[in-house]
Amino acid sequence: MSKFKNQIILLVRQWFLSEDLSLDGQLTRRGLVKILGLIFFLLAPILMLPKIAFGRKKIKKKKKKFTGEPPGPTPKWGMVIDLDKCTGCGGCVAACMAENNIPISRDGELYFGTQIYWMELLDPQQKVGPELKQAGLIPLPCMQCEDPPCVKVCPVGATMIDEEGIVAQIYDRCIGCRFCMQACPYSRRYFNWAEPYWPETYKNYINPNVSLRPRGVVEKCSFCFQRIRNVREIAELLNQPIKDEQVQRLPACAEVCPARAITFGDLNNPESLVSKLSQSPRAFQLLHAEGTKPKVTYLTKTTGGLSRNE
Amino acid sequence: MSDLKSKILPKLWRFDLKTIFLMAFFLLLFLLGIFAFLVEQKYGLLVTGMRTIGLGGSAWGVYIVFDIYFVGISFAGIVTSALIRLFNLKILKPLARMAELLAVISLLISTFCIFADVGRPLHALVYLPLFARPMSPFFGDFTLIAGAYFFASAIYLWLAGRSDAAYCASQNLPFRWFYKIWACGYKGTAAEQTRHYKTSFWMALAILPLLVTAHSTLGFIFGIQGGRPGWFSDLQAPEFVVMAGVSGVGMLIIIAAILRKWLGLEEEIKLEAFKWLGNFLWVLTATYIYFMIIDDLTSFYASPKIDTLVALRTLFGPYGGLYWTTVSSLFAAFGILFLQFAFNKWSIGLTVIAGFLVNVAAILKRFIIIVPSQVFGTLLPYPQGFYKPTWVEISIIIGTGAFGIFLYVLFLKIFPIVPLEEITIEKEKILEPGPRSFFRKLAFSSVFLTGILICVITFLSSARFGTKPYLDPIIPFSPLLFIVGIFITFFSAAVYEIVPSVKKSDL
Ligand code: SF4
Ligand code: SF4
Repeated sequence: MSKFKNQIILLVRQWFLSEDLSLDGQLTRRGLVKILGLIFFLLAPILMLPKIAFGRKKIKKKKKKFTGEPPGPTPKWGMVIDLDKCTGCGGCVAACMAENNIPISRDGELYFGTQIYWMELLDPQQKVGPELKQAGLIPLPCMQCEDPPCVKVCPVGATMIDEEGIVAQIYDRCIGCRFCMQACPYSRRYFNWAEPYWPETYKNYINPNVSLRPRGVVEKCSFCFQRIRNVREIAELLNQPIKDEQVQRLPACAEVCPARAITFGDLNNPESLVSKLSQSPRAFQLLHAEGTKPKVTYLTKTTGGLSRNE
Repeated sequence: MSDLKSKILPKLWRFDLKTIFLMAFFLLLFLLGIFAFLVEQKYGLLVTGMRTIGLGGSAWGVYIVFDIYFVGISFAGIVTSALIRLFNLKILKPLARMAELLAVISLLISTFCIFADVGRPLHALVYLPLFARPMSPFFGDFTLIAGAYFFASAIYLWLAGRSDAAYCASQNLPFRWFYKIWACGYKGTAAEQTRHYKTSFWMALAILPLLVTAHSTLGFIFGIQGGRPGWFSDLQAPEFVVMAGVSGVGMLIIIAAILRKWLGLEEEIKLEAFKWLGNFLWVLTATYIYFMIIDDLTSFYASPKIDTLVALRTLFGPYGGLYWTTVSSLFAAFGILFLQFAFNKWSIGLTVIAGFLVNVAAILKRFIIIVPSQVFGTLLPYPQGFYKPTWVEISIIIGTGAFGIFLYVLFLKIFPIVPLEEITIEKEKILEPGPRSFFRKLAFSSVFLTGILICVITFLSSARFGTKPYLDPIIPFSPLLFIVGIFITFFSAAVYEIVPSVKKSDL
């Protein structure tokens, strides 16, 4: 038995301490640290047991319970698009594509109708469809309706109003039934008919802050939620409220617009630029009569009766 | 052995060349459907003709059309058997099982269409039972139709078939255990027959409102979408109920006529039965035509511009041909049936033609409801487009239908399609009271109440009244449990029938 014990001691010495023994067989400091480390490593799980058993509750308590209500004063993120300023350059569309990792549409008849635009320029002069008395192009993001029909119809709750009041899309949950596409009066929802595609060169420019969407789910404009979250986190760290100047050009489309036609902000704050602009006599909302309470307001001088409603 | 038995029984399990050829043919078509489904899973819905609304496409296409069509024809099954039970319509009794089988199979295959339609079928398989929300009209499609309606018809088919199963088990047939399980100890005593009469009466009563609700939820999928001109209409729900009746009764006429010829049932399925169904069908068709005219008038007379536009394009645009085919089929079917009724001269051939015409109309009309509102009906001036199904969609639909027919033929070969025993029951005999049993009552009421309780709790849990409605169910898998609750509730009928009589004193 004792022979066996000696064997083991020898083995351990060889493995752990061979270089850690000084020539006369004394432990070096390094060897001592190693042994202490080993002991601690073995003991650690036992020492942590109470933590594991009781600490859980504490962690759970800390986790914010999601009630569907936003923390603190509710922001109402909204957007104002000044059609009189818009030059129709399409910068917003390009910026949105780059920011939100929107797949590139491929050529060919097969792919016709599979394109995805979270932001699109609508041409009201088309001779088809309902008329809209507006001379220029109309930039069209998701209207982020306050009473969104798309949310109502989703069978699995894959689209919902999040803490910031934004109509969010949970890609992982979406089953791709496309009911929300039917419900949206503005047709602002897009389905991934094919596997999302980027040419090789584009792949280096994927924005890490925005998740990629698989084939078979619906997606739409999120008011650049990742940027709002960023601003919110910084504000929380600094313990300061979010300032209006910080967010006026927050979404990618607003940021790049050379004509500064797009303004973003909190509609609940009467002092914000977006609130003031939305009170303008030039202001109107698309398909106001649908009753979805869109949070995107348009400004134009040329508003006839038609464009206010149908 | 009675005449009917000698006609039906020898044909069971007898797979002659014709039958084998027929079944192989439909199985092949089904395999084609499977192949198309796999292609679709590999390349995504890109291989279908559907595209994004607003880019000129239609986001729903023939899958939804046929989902609704298949659910619609199941109507006939339930309604016919319910009417037979409620009003003791002897003349239709030989059709009862055909109708019930039609209901079960068409509901089964309607779910295939949904799976072909969704972008991520496997996710749907998990997330619908886990998260389905009553706020969405799809909840009704998923729970009421795929769940309640299906189970109710299946239990109906099972209970009504017990006597025949018991008879088959006593005969020299293969797979006797199958008949024995089906029969569940049925002996044919007067008490058992009385119980069956009672349960089928109450189930018929319970099923009729369920049926109206289920078909209405299908109508709601379209009728409550304010953002889709042409869909948004109060008439949508009743229209769906009536159209379901039209197509279902039409299909039942076709099946009855085919089987009458094939199995030589000229004596059992009398002309009177076709007369009855024909009359039912023309009333339903007339109602539907009435709805349709009202709908079209409303969309032309001072309605919002876009509604008129969609209606105009439906009538005279690229889908005009389909629209007018629908209208003329409906009118022709109505004419054929009504003239037969007016002159009281019935021909099975003409009635079958009418049944065929209304089914064509039912499919086309659903297409006309669903597609033009998407490709022409955007409220903003988006480019307009055109939708036509690709070979993948058509193959999947054909495969689905073929699978349904395959199952039907298979059933014909293993079970008597015409009730053998039930027909002999006289009304006087039915009313003979069975021995009362405390135990049975206890079993029945506890199962029934448990079912109802589960339904209520899980419905409230998934609906989340009082909280934000988009939150997840309080109890996980509430929607699935809701279906289980519905199943248990209907299963209580079976408990009532099957539990043997045990008196309180015996316990
Ligand atoms: S615009 Fe459409 S997608 Fe956006 S919130 Fe409103 S209904 Fe939903
Ligand atoms: S496509 Fe996705 S987000 Fe839209 S309704 Fe269906 S599951 Fe919900």
